[in-house]
Amino acid sequence: MTRRRVIGFALLAFFLLYWIPFSHIFPDWVPFQLGSYRIFQATTIAMWAVVALGLNLLTGYNGQISLGHGAFVAIGAYTSAILMSDYGWDNNWLFCCLTIPVGGLITGAVGFLVGVPALRLTGPYLAVATLALAMSTPQILYKYEGLTHGSQGINVTLPPLPGVVDSVLNQTQWLYFLALAIAIIMAIVAWNIVRSRLGRAFVAIRDSEIAAQAMGISVPRFKTMAFAISAFFAGVCGAVYVQIIGFVSPQSFGVLQSINYLTTVVVGGLASILGSILGAAAYVLVPEINGLLEQLHLPATDQAPGVIYGASLVLVMIFMPYGLAGSMHRLGKMKIPLVRQNLSDFARQIGLGGSGPRAGSSAAAPAPPKDAHPPRPPDGEKDSDSS
Amino acid sequence: MELLLQQVMTGLATGSVYGLVALAIVLIYRSTDVINFAQGQMAMFTTFFAWMLLDGSVLGHHIHPMQFWIAFTLTLVFASIMGALLERIVIRPVEGRPILTIVIVTLGLFAIFENLATWSWGGIPKAFPPPPEIHVSGITFFGDGALDIGPTVISYHDLTIMLVAVGIMIALYAFFQYTPVGLAMRGTAQNSVAARLMGIRVGNMLTLGWALSALVGAVGGMLIAPLVLLQPPMMMGVLLYAFAAAVLGGMDSAPGAVVGGLILGIVENLVGTYTAKEYIHVDWFGPELKLTAALLVIVLVLLVRPTGLFGRRTLRRV
Repeated sequence: MTRRRVIGFALLAFFLLYWIPFSHIFPDWVPFQLGSYRIFQATTIAMWAVVALGLNLLTGYNGQISLGHGAFVAIGAYTSAILMSDYGWDNNWLFCCLTIPVGGLITGAVGFLVGVPALRLTGPYLAVATLALAMSTPQILYKYEGLTHGSQGINVTLPPLPGVVDSVLNQTQWLYFLALAIAIIMAIVAWNIVRSRLGRAFVAIRDSEIAAQAMGISVPRFKTMAFAISAFFAGVCGAVYVQIIGFVSPQSFGVLQSINYLTTVVVGGLASILGSILGAAAYVLVPEINGLLEQLHLPATDQAPGVIYGASLVLVMIFMPYGLAGSMHRLGKMKIPLVRQNLSDFARQIGLGGSGPRAGSSAAAPAPPKDAHPPRPPDGEKDSDSS
Repeated sequence: MELLLQQVMTGLATGSVYGLVALAIVLIYRSTDVINFAQGQMAMFTTFFAWMLLDGSVLGHHIHPMQFWIAFTLTLVFASIMGALLERIVIRPVEGRPILTIVIVTLGLFAIFENLATWSWGGIPKAFPPPPEIHVSGITFFGDGALDIGPTVISYHDLTIMLVAVGIMIALYAFFQYTPVGLAMRGTAQNSVAARLMGIRVGNMLTLGWALSALVGAVGGMLIAPLVLLQPPMMMGVLLYAFAAAVLGGMDSAPGAVVGGLILGIVENLVGTYTAKEYIHVDWFGPELKLTAALLVIVLVLLVRPTGLFGRRTLRRV
């Protein structure tokens, strides 16, 4: 480990373990404090990062689009909530935590079952088939109310914390550490998957199924496995959701939620562990823009964050082809001429720049200067679509 | 039997709405390889534009309310300009990128249109006037009445939607098959490099594809609005059904989109009717799951034919 890395990790640990959870109690060591609402936000970022990691394994590394991860999150959440409310797993905090792996495993099994038919579908067809899964989820949850308590949802009450922890942490801080620990574990798991035989098989299948097959990789086996692992992550996220929010109902898992998971992953950066986390952070923090607008005396409405979120999706995709994580990789090498080059490229593409070649004839354009297209980030990116 | 026929008829009516929006989706997909998730929201936005003209209040300013068909025509012009501009400004910079990138851009447009519409016009549902009646050689189109066909009844509005869907399909077929521009667009979709070498302005063709699709979407929006009330999320359900319909028919087949929409509408209606308690005596299934059943049918069809009913299987060189 280099010295820079050690310092980096120490700063990160300071931020995650002290600044976020404790700065409002011991405020002296940092320039500003983060209140309990910020702790809650950090908790939700950790929670969404888990589902983003799983979806990134499936979409970013294995090249299978899923618009149905809301269904998997719902299965994990309902498993946890039913165990806690109907089977008495809520009288002991250890059992509460145990619902998280149980929810993950059950969801993983369902993911495996979904992965088998998904083998035959690619591109838009797979996207719509998984979208169908997301669309039917709320209706199925409403229908089987004997199990799911129907439209009234399930309320869970968290048990008292163990004595030692209870004297140090309040509920918000405890949940923060729980979510953080799980996010870190899952990130390490994802990191190891990506850098193992399994992950290399995923990437090989994404890049060319035929070439992967020729190298002796069993394509159906690894594709269903990618679905199962991805669903496991989503199920874990769902179970954590129950602990944090304390309530599930069919409305919590609408279609838009599923679509948001995919945007989170792509905005953060496909095929990047860091990207999943950055994407989750962006997703949670963008609605904060309203507060910023108010401070600047601009009209802040309920719709402003939505418009800005949409606009930022468009802009990120135009200017950061490899998502937030890809740009982080490039940030060190970013130079002013490069920014100008990017802007003038953009102007030319929409037909504004006078000197450049005409819009739409980019194939005939002379090769741009070499630094106009910086090297790919090491993690690479899904290159050609599989439709 | 009468019930069955009536339900099939109702299914055809809702199905043609799905088919119309599916047609717009397929149109963009075929000519530009983009799946446009903002299609429904664009249609909603243009329908609000039409509503402003009809209502006579343009964002706080008062104008003279327009006649339906003038507003209709102006809206079509507005929609095609909007579609063309979107392609130029937003889609052009990400052209040729992975499909997911473009999908996310259209999802961004989705969020922008939905929130802009709520911001400008509020979330309260508005009544959108149905088109006035037209009499053509003794047959009434639009209007409030209903037509008796044998033992079944279909409202003029539903009938018109069906006719418009079929009409647009025929017009598009003629456009793509028999006009030079249509040929150029097909060429662009098939092989843009070769098309460019043949002297086709590929960029303009893509812009035209978006304009056309926004126009078809606007027609759909204005026909659906009287049925569902005009409000920002009005196209959400229709859009998802339209996607399913487009996939069922095959993403690259325009007739497939319409047929897919009709099948989806009929299946949904029949399942909704015949799974009620008086027909089947089970607890685990019921009309509440009609959407799930319709989607299940689609997934099953896809498993047998992975590129939809009418889709062409594409072979790729390794």
